[in-house]
Amino acid sequence: MCSMDSCLCWRQSSWMVGRGKMRLPANFRWLLATFVLLYLLNQVNSQKKGTPRDLKCTTNNLQVWDCFWKAPLGTGRGTIYKVCIEDRPHSCQQLEKTNIKIPALLPGDHKITINALHDFESSISTFILNEKNVSLIPDTPEILNLSADFSTSTLHLKWNDKGSVFPHHSNVIWEIKVLRKDSMELIELVTHNTTLNGRDTVHHWSWTSDMPLECAIHHVRIRCYIDSLQFSGLKEWSKWSPVKNISWTPDSQTKVFPQDNVVLVGSDITFCCVSQEKVLLAQIGSKNCPLIHLDGENVAIKIHNISVSDNSGTNVIFSTENSMDGTVIFAGYPPDVPQKLNCETPDLEKIICSWDPGRPTALVGPRSTNYTLFESFSGKYVTFKNAEIPTNEKIYNFSLNFKELCKILFTVSPHSPTSFRVKDINSKAVTLSWRLSGNFAKINLLCQIKINKANSAQELRNVTIKGLENSSYRVAVDRLNPYTIYTFRIRCSSETYWKWSKWSSEKQHLTTEAIPSKGPDTWREWSSDGKNLIIYWKPLPINEANGKILSYNVSCSSDEETQSLSEIPDPQHKAEIRLDKNDYIISVVAKNSVGSSPPSKIASMEIPNDDLRVEQVVGMGKRILLTWHPDPNMTCDYVIKWCNSSRSEPCLMDWKKVPSNSTEAIIESDQFQPGVRYNFFLYGCRNQGYQLLRSIIGYIEELAPIVAPNFTVEDTSADSILVKWEAIPVEELRGFLRGYLFYFEKGERDTSKVRGLESGRSDIKVKNITDISQKTLRIADLQGKTSYHLVLRAYTDGGLGPEKSMFVVTKENSVGLIIAILIPVAVAVIIGVVTSILCYRKREWIKETFYPDIPNPENCKALQFQKSVCEGSSALKTLEMNPCTPNNVEVLETRSTLPKIEDTEIISPVAERPIDSSDVEPENHVIVSYCPPIIEEEIPNPAMDEAGGTSQVIYIDVQSMYQPQAKPEEDQETDPIVGAGYKPQMRLPIKSTVEETAAEDDIDKTAGYRPQANVNTWKLVSPDSPRSTDSNSEIVSFGSPCSINSRQFLIPPRDEDSPKSSGGGWSFSNFFQNKPND
Amino acid sequence: MPLLLVLHWKHGAGSPLPITPVNATCATRHPCPSNVMSQIRNQLAQLNSSANALFILYYTAQGEPFPNNLDKLCAPNVTDFPPFHANGTEKVKLVELYRIIAYLGAALGNITHDQKLLNPNALSLHSKLSVTADVMRGLLSNVHCRLCNKYHVAHVDVTYGPDTSDKDVFQKKKLGCQLLGKYKQVIGVVTQAF
Repeated sequence: MCSMDSCLCWRQSSWMVGRGKMRLPANFRWLLATFVLLYLLNQVNSQKKGTPRDLKCTTNNLQVWDCFWKAPLGTGRGTIYKVCIEDRPHSCQQLEKTNIKIPALLPGDHKITINALHDFESSISTFILNEKNVSLIPDTPEILNLSADFSTSTLHLKWNDKGSVFPHHSNVIWEIKVLRKDSMELIELVTHNTTLNGRDTVHHWSWTSDMPLECAIHHVRIRCYIDSLQFSGLKEWSKWSPVKNISWTPDSQTKVFPQDNVVLVGSDITFCCVSQEKVLLAQIGSKNCPLIHLDGENVAIKIHNISVSDNSGTNVIFSTENSMDGTVIFAGYPPDVPQKLNCETPDLEKIICSWDPGRPTALVGPRSTNYTLFESFSGKYVTFKNAEIPTNEKIYNFSLNFKELCKILFTVSPHSPTSFRVKDINSKAVTLSWRLSGNFAKINLLCQIKINKANSAQELRNVTIKGLENSSYRVAVDRLNPYTIYTFRIRCSSETYWKWSKWSSEKQHLTTEAIPSKGPDTWREWSSDGKNLIIYWKPLPINEANGKILSYNVSCSSDEETQSLSEIPDPQHKAEIRLDKNDYIISVVAKNSVGSSPPSKIASMEIPNDDLRVEQVVGMGKRILLTWHPDPNMTCDYVIKWCNSSRSEPCLMDWKKVPSNSTEAIIESDQFQPGVRYNFFLYGCRNQGYQLLRSIIGYIEELAPIVAPNFTVEDTSADSILVKWEAIPVEELRGFLRGYLFYFEKGERDTSKVRGLESGRSDIKVKNITDISQKTLRIADLQGKTSYHLVLRAYTDGGLGPEKSMFVVTKENSVGLIIAILIPVAVAVIIGVVTSILCYRKREWIKETFYPDIPNPENCKALQFQKSVCEGSSALKTLEMNPCTPNNVEVLETRSTLPKIEDTEIISPVAERPIDSSDVEPENHVIVSYCPPIIEEEIPNPAMDEAGGTSQVIYIDVQSMYQPQAKPEEDQETDPIVGAGYKPQMRLPIKSTVEETAAEDDIDKTAGYRPQANVNTWKLVSPDSPRSTDSNSEIVSFGSPCSINSRQFLIPPRDEDSPKSSGGGWSFSNFFQNKPND
Repeated sequence: MPLLLVLHWKHGAGSPLPITPVNATCATRHPCPSNVMSQIRNQLAQLNSSANALFILYYTAQGEPFPNNLDKLCAPNVTDFPPFHANGTEKVKLVELYRIIAYLGAALGNITHDQKLLNPNALSLHSKLSVTADVMRGLLSNVHCRLCNKYHVAHVDVTYGPDTSDKDVFQKKKLGCQLLGKYKQVIGVVTQAF
């Protein structure tokens, strides 16, 4: 056992050894070893003796030390301990337990002796006790109360520090532990510092849970640590207090927490669900969240950085198998610091403040922002709930030193003036009165009057008036026009730091009448008979009438007499007075209810002007500009009057007076219309009257004529037309006539489609008649007996008028017709005469050519031959010269073995050609003209016999011998070879051999003519062949009226040198070349 | 809702009482039009035609996940909803219709009040709720007129739904949605029955 003193000695020795090591390490090593040895021996001896040991002292209040020790070995009940503390009176106590409470000892070592008495044996232990060896262990704290605010998930802890037991002020550290769930998971461990102040103090501590308290049980423990500066001993933590817990009793329904909370956007929040069923799913909005399982079926979800909510909040849903429950969270922004705070006072009695709330909080309804307005002068607070309207405007009343306040803070913006009234002073001034709520007695008011007049610019007038307490103000407004409707409005502000109030309501007021300021504008006209003077005047403008004009007075005065017309009612602006002479002064006066205007005078005399010309003018738009040269004789004004030219005299539409120094005037009137001619008259005013200076006709705008000139045809000849037209009336002309356009073209009324005249057609001739006085036009160089289309149009500078058209037919040209007849007749006669002469001169040649002498058949030897041959035959007859009746002959070239027909004595040499198309076609029928032979002649030609033995010609019909001449073209188409069937009735004259050769060569080349005789026979001079009787000519000419296949005269050319003459075709030139006389 | 409850709250409310005996006095403020049944049918048709649109507008305004969980959040599970028997006599049907419209009218008042606080900017929803409530008032008047004039029924005890004033926002949303779902369902049946 180790007694306290031994321990202390040991500790002290150790300390000494420690010091020895530091100071005397080498010299006292042996001494240390000696002490250790003695200590061990002492221990052994003490145990052997059984003395109290291990004295320890603690304190929980720094006033009483609780010391305890271990009893000696071998002792039990009945041992009495006598504890004595040195240096203290009555310090010894005798007791039977092993602990003792002693008052706290002063700092320093104190010797304590414990004498154990047991069985008459005693053992004494001595301990050195120092405060430093005493431990301060506070009592275990006790939680007085643990409560929960479930709506805010806050735990409230309450405990007592029992500070009354501590003699000194000491700092206390409290350590609080929050545990969750049945498993007591540590959630929070916080320290809380307090101070002991000598009294028992109950402390509060609150803790807000991140999880709603309803969802899990929460436990709380507490302990403390007293950090007393006066205590030098060992300080230790107290023990943990007993656990206190908080839980929520759920009902049968599923509940989700927290409910309807408002949180800051971006914060983290935990939702939990208290459920009896298994929760399957949790979601915020439409987003699923992982479940955190709590005790039982309770679950939670943790949301990080929550986003801003809609107006209806963000729904958090927990789904079980059968139901779905949830809660709503409202995530929004905190309100911004209000900006642009502006306060105004309308009456120095209350303030109207407005401000900019800044960023919307996204919280509406009951969760919207509350604003509190503090006014420091009055010390008033006003709370404003920004429930719905975003304008943030609040009105509240306060009472202060207004003038000072206004200077410092506020703008004075008075209310809108009310009870606004207008009252007449005279025709040019009124009084305005109004009320302005508020007490402005200490300031001046600046008011602005808005004056509106019809057809006039708005006028603003500022007036400064002294503020009043009774709120009624009055001000006079002058410089107004009589009998004029004005509209007044007014607004006010303070003279300084002002802001205009709203305008008052409008007040319309008609000022009273005054006498007319001027007489009416007057003009006069003499009637057409010159006996009556018509006086015109214009109504006075409103600014000159100064009231409603009731009537007019008109008077005409001369040196001798005065005529008056009184009380002419207002709508009438014209009066007629019969005057005897020309020289009067007319006076017109307008009257209203207040009085009469100054008279307006005009002289009646018109001074004649001999040098008067009519001029033309065209206006622009609805204006016409008239200019004139200044005339110094004109002492008063100029007057321009105008009227419609189509109206009868006296004509007056309007007039205009211009000062005498003017040289121009612009005439403008809404009555002016385009296309209407107006007459303008410029009068100059002299003392005695007016003189007409200029007469002008004009148009505001020229238009095209609306009618065409009415024209007629005065005269028509074979080559010209005279047209006459009428002038267009002025009303239909609609402008100054600039000319006529006359179009004409050939054309029929019925057949021709009248085409556009402006199409630039070349066949249209146009005449532009710019001389407007011209009313006739002669169109020359026309064709006779031809229809012409005539069109006439008039034009002005405004354009072309419509057209009027007419169709005219020119007369027939008789001379031309006669000439046209006579010339062909004369030509025909001349030709006839020339032909006759020629024929007469060439009659012999013609006769020889066309009508040769026909030989007498009686002189024909052949007949004699025949007669001799045919002697003895009863069938023979004499040759009769019957008329040659042609028959048709059908030639059938068949190579039959029919007996030779002997009468084909003349065999066509062509027929003998071996190659012939007709030969190829054996049954080809060819119709030829044929004169039936009267005499069958057999030519003793063996060659011919052979040829004739192979062909047979059958003559079926024979046409007239002379007919082929009528149809030469048909003959040309006849096959010349086939035509070889023709047999001339006489022998051809035999020519020279050379000629025959040449002629033979030309046979094939000549398509036209085919010799009717066998050429071969021409080589032989037959004494029986007929010859020409013309011995003078070697040319043998023969006529063959029956030749039908030849276009060639059967007369050989006279010129023997020309080879063409025998084979070429006949031409008219040959006719002239073959003159026999040549 | 509290106002409506006060207005309609009578002794015995919560459980339907028998209708007025035949011999009870029955008077209407205005004469009953001759075509009142036709007007009732027209009003029912009008309500029926707009019920679905109102339902959609409502649950859309409540935010997610209401539109996608109508079966659990807006199921027509309304406690104490007055019954309706389509095969009953006209008198029975009119009495039941009266109870239904009274129930729905009060519930619509609560819903309108809640939604004006919760969704102050959902003006179209407010408008449609107000129009529906107006038509219901007219229908209730016509039904009362018909019952009174033809069947001499001067008084019909009615019941109302639960008070939602102390409920949390989610419960208000959910109950409103369930009520409108029930309204859509019932009004179709009632319209068919008349």
